[in-house]
Amino acid sequence: MTPRAGTPRNMKRFPLAALACGLLPLVLAGCGGGASMSSSDAPAARAPAPAGVSRDALVGRWGIASFHTEKDRKRTEAEARAQCKQPYTITKGPGDGVMMHVADDPKPYELRLKAGSGGRTYLGFEAPAGDPQDRELLSVKPKELVMRFVDPDAHARYGTFIYSRCG
Amino acid sequence: MSITIHTTLRGLFVSGFGLASLLALSGATSAQPRPPAAIQETMDIGDEPGRVSTEEATITDGPYARQMVLFRSSEAPGTVVIHSAERFLYVVQGNGRALRYGIGVGREGFTWSGQVKVSRKAEWPDWRPPPEMLQRQPYLPRFMAGGPGNPMGARALYLGSTVFRIHGTNQPETIGQAISSGCFRLANGDIADLYDRVPVGTKVVIRHKATL
Repeated sequence: MTPRAGTPRNMKRFPLAALACGLLPLVLAGCGGGASMSSSDAPAARAPAPAGVSRDALVGRWGIASFHTEKDRKRTEAEARAQCKQPYTITKGPGDGVMMHVADDPKPYELRLKAGSGGRTYLGFEAPAGDPQDRELLSVKPKELVMRFVDPDAHARYGTFIYSRCG
Repeated sequence: MSITIHTTLRGLFVSGFGLASLLALSGATSAQPRPPAAIQETMDIGDEPGRVSTEEATITDGPYARQMVLFRSSEAPGTVVIHSAERFLYVVQGNGRALRYGIGVGREGFTWSGQVKVSRKAEWPDWRPPPEMLQRQPYLPRFMAGGPGNPMGARALYLGSTVFRIHGTNQPETIGQAISSGCFRLANGDIADLYDRVPVGTKVVIRHKATL
């Protein structure tokens, strides 16, 4: 669901709430009892790690920029390279993941790399690869990462991210 | 160019997530389970990037719709006059009339007044979130290429050498509200109309309240 002009403010969080309702119904007794929700109740469906990408490829300081249309990719890459004065830092997590943010949430979480179908690589919570809160890694190079949010709404809002390694 | 900040720009800080989050993570051995949606924070609507509004979106009804109005002013025709408290932008037409647009303005602590000139114009401008916004929303890109999902909307008029602009928006429902960081926002169709009427060098008078 993509928010459109006229969407009430209090509807903004609906996609995430709806996703939670859709994906966790058997584990959580409905979506009305927020205070009783406990993430420890959810079974961890541990997706396999990808063979070709390690978390070390993600750890570091990055200049990040985004674009929505392909014509802007080149200059967005240049802008990403110029953003190291206010870098985004990815660190190792206490487990085998990395500390990063998900869309629309200012808290950092430990996210891990997951192998998906068709050779795709995802980054996200302990959930099946390709979960709506995952990022998909479109390209991984030593000095540049390209990622997008799997959630169509988040992708429409934030676009495709270019991460350019600093230093 | 003269500018008056009405109240001190407030420092905005992320609510201490660092240590608490790290403590909460201290026993983790792998990626975290997804947090329950019910306890996630509500996103600040201030300048939400990526929400999509078309170039044609205009305010068609009510006081914020673009309309010719009676307007007493000593300013020359062509001058842009902004009344922040009323949420209106006027283009002086002469003969006691002005073309009036509904606008969104700076939230409390982010209002200002003064006299500037339009220093630059841009179609589908790029967007760079200000540092305080990156503190609140650290997942944002530091640069977002211009386009329909960009908070700057379809057009921008840059005001003097300030960081403030008159620009479009991807949230036309916020016209009439005070939620910006000091910029003035119009629906995309309205900023496109204004863009065609206002050349570089145009005098812009920003007042908090209406005065003659």
